[in-house]
Amino acid sequence: MAEQEEDLTILLNDPHKRSIVFSKVVRTYQERLYWHIRKMVLSHEDTNDVLQNTFMKAWNALDNFRGDSQVSTWLYRIATNETLTFLSSKRMKMVSGIDEIEDTLLRNLHSDPYFNGNEVELKLQKAILTLPEKQRLVFNMKYFDDITYDEMEAILGTTTGALKASYHHAVKKIEKYFEGEE
Amino acid sequence: MVKNKKHMTLDETGNRLPFSVPENYFEEFALKIESQTIPATVSLRKMIKPWLYLAAMFVGIIVIGKTFYSVHSNNVAKNSENYELYVVSQVDESLVYDNYVNDESMPVTPVNGVKTSN
Repeated sequence: MAEQEEDLTILLNDPHKRSIVFSKVVRTYQERLYWHIRKMVLSHEDTNDVLQNTFMKAWNALDNFRGDSQVSTWLYRIATNETLTFLSSKRMKMVSGIDEIEDTLLRNLHSDPYFNGNEVELKLQKAILTLPEKQRLVFNMKYFDDITYDEMEAILGTTTGALKASYHHAVKKIEKYFEGEE
Repeated sequence: MVKNKKHMTLDETGNRLPFSVPENYFEEFALKIESQTIPATVSLRKMIKPWLYLAAMFVGIIVIGKTFYSVHSNNVAKNSENYELYVVSQVDESLVYDNYVNDESMPVTPVNGVKTSN
């Protein structure tokens, strides 16, 4: 995998092969990045927009990609930034409204034809939405994708210790939410 | 203190993602990105196309110009030929003879070295 990543980095820096290799990169990482974004923004349509922005940002920034990090880490970082930017711009638009962005996300989830969760899974999503954004990000990456703390550190730029603490707090908060719901 | 274990825990919820995507979404998504990032081969054809149109137009203008020119040259040649024929047809043969033979300015050939005049 590491060897593949290294080859990708070299090929991405070759202007003649760049576009073909980038298509391969898109096909390799699109699903993982899609779910990474979807867990944060919840709606399929919004995820589609953010994912497109992610790949177009990556494409436009290829000249600056020198392979200091793995391609996957680099893409995850762009996707995370795009997701947080999307959420904060949505929050800015709602600043004058009564609803919090989390309420809107939850309401959209209820009407989303691409949400097929049962009652327990819906409750878990509600609980996750009570977490602060960064904590939500950490929880999703660990709980659903089992991404290692080292990888998360490379993507989020937060120390492993802080990430562990963040995940621990998130789990506590979610379980507390469950208690309160019953 | 015995903890009330009635409430739901994360172990019970499982970590399945309760979301789905439209059919063929990822295939279509990859194609969409490709259409925006592989413009090189397409744009090369696109770049050449206007030049081809321009070259075709140029060749067309030359061919049309040449055709017009040759038609015009033919007409000029034909017109001058027609004019000559017209002039010849208008002139009486005896008139030409008179004009040349009885021309006063024409020197008469001397007979026995003596110049005569009419």
